[in-house]
Amino acid sequence: MAEAQAAQRVPAPAPSHAVEASEAAARGVHAAALAALPRASSGRLAKLLNHRDPSEVWSQAVAGELPGWAVDPDLADLWRIHARDRDLDALAEQLAALDAWVTTPLSPDHPPALIDDIDPAPILFRRGRVPDDSAPAAAIVGTRRCTPTGRSVAMELGSDLAAAGVTVVSGLALGIDGAAHRGALAAAAAAVVGVVGSGLDRVYPRGNRDLWDEVAAAGTLLSEAPLGAEPEGWRFPARNRLLVALADVVVVVESKRAGGSMHTVEEAVRRGVVVMAVPGSVRNPAAQGTNLLLSEGCPPVCSSDDVLVALDLATAGTVGGSAGGTAGGAVGGEPAAAQTGDAGARSLDPLQKRLLRLLDDGPVSLDALVLRAASPVPEVLVAAEALERLGLLARDGALVLRA
Amino acid sequence: MLATIRSATLVGVWGHPVSVEVHVADGLPGFTVVGLPDASCREARDRVRAAIISSKLKWPPKRITVNLAPNDMPKSGAGLDLAVAVGVLAADEQVAPAALKNMGVLGQLGLDGSVRPVPGALPLVDAIGDAPVVVASRDSAVAELVARERVRPVNNLKEMFEALSGAAPWPEPPPAPAPRRVAPEPDLCDIAGQPLARWALEVAAAGGHHLLLVGPPGAGKTMLARRLVGLLPDLTPQESLEVTRVHSAAGLSLPDGLITRPPFRAPHHSSSMAALVGGGTHMARPGEVSAATSGVLFLDELGEFAPSVLDALRQPLEEGRIRVARSRGMIEHPARFLLVAAMNPCPCGAGGTVGCRCAPAALARYQRRLSGPFVDRLDLVVRVDRPDPADLLDARPSVSSAEVAERVAAARAEARKRGVARNADLQGSALEQHAPLSAEATRVLRSALDEGRLSARGLRRVQTVARTIRDLDDGGRELRAQDLLAALSLRMRLDSTGSMIHG
Repeated sequence: MAEAQAAQRVPAPAPSHAVEASEAAARGVHAAALAALPRASSGRLAKLLNHRDPSEVWSQAVAGELPGWAVDPDLADLWRIHARDRDLDALAEQLAALDAWVTTPLSPDHPPALIDDIDPAPILFRRGRVPDDSAPAAAIVGTRRCTPTGRSVAMELGSDLAAAGVTVVSGLALGIDGAAHRGALAAAAAAVVGVVGSGLDRVYPRGNRDLWDEVAAAGTLLSEAPLGAEPEGWRFPARNRLLVALADVVVVVESKRAGGSMHTVEEAVRRGVVVMAVPGSVRNPAAQGTNLLLSEGCPPVCSSDDVLVALDLATAGTVGGSAGGTAGGAVGGEPAAAQTGDAGARSLDPLQKRLLRLLDDGPVSLDALVLRAASPVPEVLVAAEALERLGLLARDGALVLRA
Repeated sequence: MLATIRSATLVGVWGHPVSVEVHVADGLPGFTVVGLPDASCREARDRVRAAIISSKLKWPPKRITVNLAPNDMPKSGAGLDLAVAVGVLAADEQVAPAALKNMGVLGQLGLDGSVRPVPGALPLVDAIGDAPVVVASRDSAVAELVARERVRPVNNLKEMFEALSGAAPWPEPPPAPAPRRVAPEPDLCDIAGQPLARWALEVAAAGGHHLLLVGPPGAGKTMLARRLVGLLPDLTPQESLEVTRVHSAAGLSLPDGLITRPPFRAPHHSSSMAALVGGGTHMARPGEVSAATSGVLFLDELGEFAPSVLDALRQPLEEGRIRVARSRGMIEHPARFLLVAAMNPCPCGAGGTVGCRCAPAALARYQRRLSGPFVDRLDLVVRVDRPDPADLLDARPSVSSAEVAERVAAARAEARKRGVARNADLQGSALEQHAPLSAEATRVLRSALDEGRLSARGLRRVQTVARTIRDLDDGGRELRAQDLLAALSLRMRLDSTGSMIHG
């Protein structure tokens, strides 16, 4: 009964008749159940599932007859107890409610990149369409605690790359990841892929629920975690490896010296995926990691064109570069500078101009701005407030910076 | 035989006159006190008997009844001891009642007959009215503040007995103790950098606007807050009297004479509601908010205060007084303080910088501890950060408190011309009259309203702050757009002072 229901939701690629469809659905439910077994690491599951049908593996697990080279007898016993008590009908209903599909290496819609990976993902939960592995893909990653500049750069990169037909892959986290996806979705051009660390039924961060749904609607939402899996810390490094495996190039927009993004970079280096970094101010702590990457020889990203060149979608000669704000659009403070350079400048008073110049060095605290401007506090406050209204200045927590 | 002695008891911060009626008659020897005495008041029986016997006076072996009138007002404390003792002596005709006519008596008694000071001597002496007042020698300095030459200080019951019976003159008041060295108030020039917070302090002091400093630990929030008092002008004579009365009633140590400088009170964040707003089992004693009246109430680590305690501050913030109900009645205490609060931007303290380790949920929870209505009453919300060392080194020498205090005094003088003590008190039509908006200023306010940056209350508050800013600048009548812009930027939204907004 549940299997029949699930059959509508979990279709085989070309179901010729009902039996095949229901078998495919059963495979999905069994794979989902396998993923939720205790100590079911991706390595162990990969051994079991690379060449075997999940339904077959599941019935072996229920019978406690799993091959000893994959699962030791104690664990096989534990799995048998868990498998026996598992309510597959409820699981099927849960998957159906989420509109989620479950694939294993034997499924035709399992991403090949994740089968051949050095650390393959044997079971994937998916919402949305099958990712197109022929399209070039760029992972845009970065810190959750980014600056507004970083966020707008990530959005711009996301939308420009999507417009150029690049699949934007990201982690749907706060900060850079989410911004890249929002940008890509806004362009409404190429598909997007989101790889999350928690179960597909556990939206994290909770405020990003709308983004999850939009990504699932316009592209693909992937997770390796079984349903109900909480966003525990160890799941994110595992998620990062999938992100890298799905991408042809990894762009780090803002990152601290240590953290999740640097872990993603390590995974990319292990797989030989090109890593690129967006340069940032030396005064911006959120750019320390990216600047370190640049000093170690990563190619810089000054506009989306740089990424397109790395993906062989454009050649260095054909793009306008980052100077003029052409096709790809310049990244960073250039538009504001251009504005203050001509039209805007005439309407600004000398103090306002001086403040903008002081901010060219990078974000500073309002106190430092007052001291450096050497003007009375109220005047600086008023000038800063006016600049903010003109959209030339932004506040970010303790800091003010050029918008 | 009946004797009636004038005395007083403390209700809240006010003294209330009490008539101590002592009746001594034949009958079975006994001693009863009626008229709503509290426990320490009823114990007067034992102290008075011992003190009279220790002073080599006669304890009448008769039926003694003491009534404390008015009968419906609860009396507390041992301050009526001396009055009861003298009443017993007068009723027993050991002292001529005429000598006691129209004389107020205040003091606790020791078993050896010594007369001890009473808490709240100032309001108590004040309550006795225009009559000579007998007080403990140690209370004479305080009593003289209001009663001047009517004070009759005594050291013990025997001295008083002899003075009353004419055997000896009234003792001389003790020589005024050498003036205690008052620790100088901390000066603004100790702080390098922090131009924004300094200016916020100046505006807060000039206009009486409540101030919240938000910043990481070690940024100097507490140092800054402690320097606010030094910017405030001396207390006016009425304020001085009121503050001294409250401190006296609260049992705080008093300087030699009236308190003339604004008090600075910094209750710890674990303070209970009763400690802060005033309380006690039966009747409410003044709490920290009242002790800070006419001065500065500093709440450090604002986020750690219990939310209910903070919300209890809303009434005093709005009305300048606090009403506390207790089982034996309701009391109103003055609480016209200038609130300075300090808090970290987030639990880990690093908020706004990349080192912040707080989960977004923890951050939101931390900021939710402050209720919207409470934050709305804080006119100035300013971010304070550790100064950049490079800026510290080439910073010009800091302005001293005295210099700022001069500007503050000038601004306060402007406010007095408008009929209020501080610009923050301007309301309704007075605000419209004294703080008219230029057309451009109106536009600034309207756009702030449209952006949802301001509530209606916030709007009025911003207008008063802008008034103060103009007063500190050139004192012009109309508020310009720049005054309002400056006022608005001194009122940061709390979420924008904290960690970065996650998106």
